[in-house]
Amino acid sequence: MRWYGKENTCEEEEVMVKIRFFARFRELLGTDIMTDVVAGTMFTPLITTIAKKNPEGYAAIFDENGAFHEFVILMKNGKRIEIADAAKTMVVDGDEIAVFPPVAGG
Amino acid sequence: MIAIQTDDVDIGALIAAAKKHGTGAVVVFDGIVRDDDISEMELEAYEDVATQELEKIARNATEQFGLLHVDIIHRIGRLGVGENILIIIVAAGHRKEAYTGSRFIIEAIKAGVPIWKKEMTKDGGRWVPGEHGHGKPETS
Repeated sequence: MRWYGKENTCEEEEVMVKIRFFARFRELLGTDIMTDVVAGTMFTPLITTIAKKNPEGYAAIFDENGAFHEFVILMKNGKRIEIADAAKTMVVDGDEIAVFPPVAGG
Repeated sequence: MIAIQTDDVDIGALIAAAKKHGTGAVVVFDGIVRDDDISEMELEAYEDVATQELEKIARNATEQFGLLHVDIIHRIGRLGVGENILIIIVAAGHRKEAYTGSRFIIEAIKAGVPIWKKEMTKDGGRWVPGEHGHGKPETS
C-alpha cells in the first residue's frame, strides 16, 4: 500500500507478471502477456480475468463452474502448481505464469 | 547434447561421437513426421522448461541404467512428412542398458516435457492430444 502525503490518499501496490499460454490456449488467448495486478492477487483469479477476454479461450481452460478443467497444467516460474493450490497461490512481482494443455511431444 | 531446436542434426556424426570408451551398444531412436494425411506438422515448446526437463531425464537415465552417453534433440517449428522430430542417441556398455535407457527417455518425454504438436491439414489443423492427461513432469 502506498500512501500519498497531504491528500491522505492511498494507492494499492501493483506487481508486474508475465502470463504465457501454449498450444491451443495460445491460439485463443495470445502469449507473453505482461500485466499489472494488485499485490496479493492469487493465481486463479488472475488467469480467470485474462481468459475472459475470449469466451472460447475461457471455455478451453475453465468449466461451467469456473473451475480449471482437470487436464489444464499450471506453472509458476517453471514449477508445477497443482490446480487445487492455484486459488491460494499468490503471484509476486516478476512471476512467469504458464498455462497449457497436456503435453504431446516426442 | 541436449537441445530443442529448429535445425535437423547429423545422426551419423552423433553416433560417432557417442562411442565413448567402454561402449558396446548404441541405440538410436528417430521419431519422424508420419504421413497421416497431413501436409506438415507444427511443433511448439515451452523452451526453457522443456530443456530443463530433457536434461533431468538424461541425468536420471544415465544414473539409472549406467549409460555412457545420451543425446536428446527435439525439433520445433514446421516440419514436413518424413522429417526428424526427435533424435535420442544412447550409448552403453551392453545392449540391454542401451535399449532400456532409450525406452525410458522417450516415455519420460511423452509423459512430461512441455512440447506440443499440431498436424496441419488441408482443412486447417488439429492439435495432437497428449498420451498422459495431466502431463505430469518427470520427477527426479
